[in-house]
Amino acid sequence: MRFMRRPGLALAAFASVVLASTAQAQVRSVEIRTPRPFGYFLGDLVRAQVDIVVEPGFTLQAASLPQPGPMAYWLDLRDVATEETQAGDARRVRLSLTYQNFYAALDARALEIPGFGLTFVSASDHGATTTTAQVPAWSFNISPLREVQPPAKADPADYMRPDGRVAPLDPQPMRVGAAAFAGLALVALFGLARDRAWGPFRARRGRPFGIAARRLRALAARPDAETAYGEALRALHRGLDATDGRRVLAEDLPGFLERHAAYRPEGPRLAHLLAASRLAFFGAGVPAARAALPFPEVAALTRRLAATERAA
Amino acid sequence: MNETRPGDAMLTDWREAAGRFERAVASAVIGQDRAIRLITIAIFARGHVLLEGDVGVGKTTLLRAVARALGGAYERVEGTVDMMPTDLVYHTYLAEDGRPRVEPGPVLRRAEDLSIFFFNEINRARPQVHSLLLRLMAERSLTAFNREYHFPNLQVFADRNRVEREETFELPAAARDRFLMEIGMEAPRDAESRRALVFDPRFHDTDALIAGIDADILDHAAIAGIGRAIQHGIQASPAIEAYVIGLWEALVRPAGAGIRLSGVDMEALVQGGASPRGVAFLVRAAKVRAWLEGRDWLVPEDIRAIFPEVMAHRVFLEPVYEMRRSAIVPELCRAVFDTVPAP
Repeated sequence: MRFMRRPGLALAAFASVVLASTAQAQVRSVEIRTPRPFGYFLGDLVRAQVDIVVEPGFTLQAASLPQPGPMAYWLDLRDVATEETQAGDARRVRLSLTYQNFYAALDARALEIPGFGLTFVSASDHGATTTTAQVPAWSFNISPLREVQPPAKADPADYMRPDGRVAPLDPQPMRVGAAAFAGLALVALFGLARDRAWGPFRARRGRPFGIAARRLRALAARPDAETAYGEALRALHRGLDATDGRRVLAEDLPGFLERHAAYRPEGPRLAHLLAASRLAFFGAGVPAARAALPFPEVAALTRRLAATERAA
Repeated sequence: MNETRPGDAMLTDWREAAGRFERAVASAVIGQDRAIRLITIAIFARGHVLLEGDVGVGKTTLLRAVARALGGAYERVEGTVDMMPTDLVYHTYLAEDGRPRVEPGPVLRRAEDLSIFFFNEINRARPQVHSLLLRLMAERSLTAFNREYHFPNLQVFADRNRVEREETFELPAAARDRFLMEIGMEAPRDAESRRALVFDPRFHDTDALIAGIDADILDHAAIAGIGRAIQHGIQASPAIEAYVIGLWEALVRPAGAGIRLSGVDMEALVQGGASPRGVAFLVRAAKVRAWLEGRDWLVPEDIRAIFPEVMAHRVFLEPVYEMRRSAIVPELCRAVFDTVPAP
C-alpha cells in the first residue's frame, strides 16, 4: 500500500458554496479545499479541508461530525480534526478530513466522496438555536496502478513487487534496558531469597549439644557441685529441646529417637540421663540423682552427643 | 519407676484395685483405654466428668460399666427441654387410693448413698437445671423437704453429644468449670476393636455386657478418704510448681510466651478462663495419675497426660475464634507444652 504525502501549502480552492437562503442565514459559507483533484492511486490518503464560516455565537456540535470508520466499501474516513478560529466578526470552523481510498481502478475515473451535514448551536438565555451547514459531495480522479492486460510472465510471483527494506534498528537501548532489568531481577531475587531463607540465607542448623558441651566444661570448674549438676542437666535439656524443636520429657524419648535416628546408639544412656533428671528436679533431689548418674558421666554423654551432632 | 514409700501399703493396695477396676471396665468397653484411664483419675481425684462425643460411640455404656464396677447407688436422668429442677428433686403422682403423693425424685431417692449421678444429654436441659446441678456438683448438697441432703460420695457424670445444636442449651461457664474433666470420646480407630464391636454379639446386648463386669471392685464409700491420702502422699517439687505456673501463664497469655499459631492473632485469642480452681484441679488429677503410675512424686508427664481434658474446656476464646475452638484449643495446648521448659 502506498501513502502519498502532499504538502499542505498546495491547497487549492476546489469548491465554494455560499448558502444564501434565509433559513440558513446563520451559515455564511462552506468551502472545501483539497491539494489536487487527480492523481490518486489505490491506498492513497485523500485529504480535504472544509472551512465553514458561521455567525458569531454558533459553535459546532461535536456529535454531528462524521465518525472515523468505513464510509463505503472503497472508502474509509481515517481522521477528523477540527479547529475553530475568529474570522473578522464571524467564526470559522476548519475540519481537516483524511480519507483513504481502497478503490482498485482499472481506468482513470472520478469518484465522489459523499457530503454530510454539520449542526451548529447558539445557546442563549432564551433557548438554543440550531442550524445545519450542508457540506456538499466532492469528487477526485483516481488512476489505475497497472495496465489492464499486463505482459505474460512465467512465474506469477514476478507480478509481485519485492518487500521494501527495513531500516536496521539500533539494539543498544534494548541491551541497556535488558541489562538494567536483569540487574533489578537479581536485586529482587536477593530480597526474596532473604525473605524465604533460601540458599545462603538458610538458617544454619545450630549445634545445641555443642553449646551444652561448652557450658558443661565451664560448669565442671564450679565449686558448688550440686548447683553445677542441676545447671548441667538443664543445659542438656535445652540441647535436647533445641534439637527436637519442642520440649522433650522423659516419656518422649522413644519419639525423639524415632525422629533423630543419629542419636539412637545413645538411647539407653539418654534414658538414664532423663531418669536422673527426673529424680533431680521432681523426685528425691540432686544428691540421689548424682548418685545414680555422676557429673563426669553427664559430661561424657554430652561430649558424645555433640560429636554425633557434628557428624549428622 | 517404683519409688513408693515403704509402709504406704494402703495406697499400693488401692493402686492394684484401681488396676482391676480399669481392666474390668476395659473388658466391656474396648478401644477406650485413654478414656477409662481418665475416668479412673477423675474418680480418685473426686471430680465430675463430662463426656463428649458422637452418637453411639459408647459414652453411656462406659458410664454404666464404671457405675457397676464402682458400686454404690446409681441414678440416671435424661435431659429434656421441658425438664425442671423439681423433676430431679421430687416426683408427684396419684396413688392407688386416689390421694396425691410426693416422693423423692432421682437425686434424693437413694439419699446419702448416691455415688454416681449420670446426667444423659446434659445440654438438652434448661439453665435452671444446670444451676441446680451446679450446687450439687460444687457442694455435694441439696435443700429439699425442709432439710439439707448431703451426698459425700457423689460423683456427677454427664454426657453431651456434639452433633446437634437445635433445642440445646450451652452449659454456662460456671457449670463447665466445675467439671474436673471434659473427655472427648471417639469410636476406636484400630481395625481389630472395630471389627469386634460390630461383629461380636457380646457387644450388641449392652445389659448383658454390663452384667458381665465384676460388681463393686472399688469400695465407693472409701474413695473420698483414699483420694485425700493420695493428695497428701504425692509430693510436688518446687520445679514442678514452677512448671505448672509457667503452663498456666502461657495458656492465658500465649502471645507473651512466644506462641504463634497460624491464622490466629495471638494477642486477641484468649479472653479468659483457666481459673485457679481449674489449675488446682489440674494438679489434683496429675497427682492421681502419678499415683496410678506408681510414683509418689509428680513429673511433667503427669500434667501433660491430663492437661487437655482438664484445661481445654476452661479456656474461653474471643468470639471470633470460638467457632474454630475444636481446632485451635488442642493446637494451643500442644504449643504450650512445646514452649514451656520442663526442668
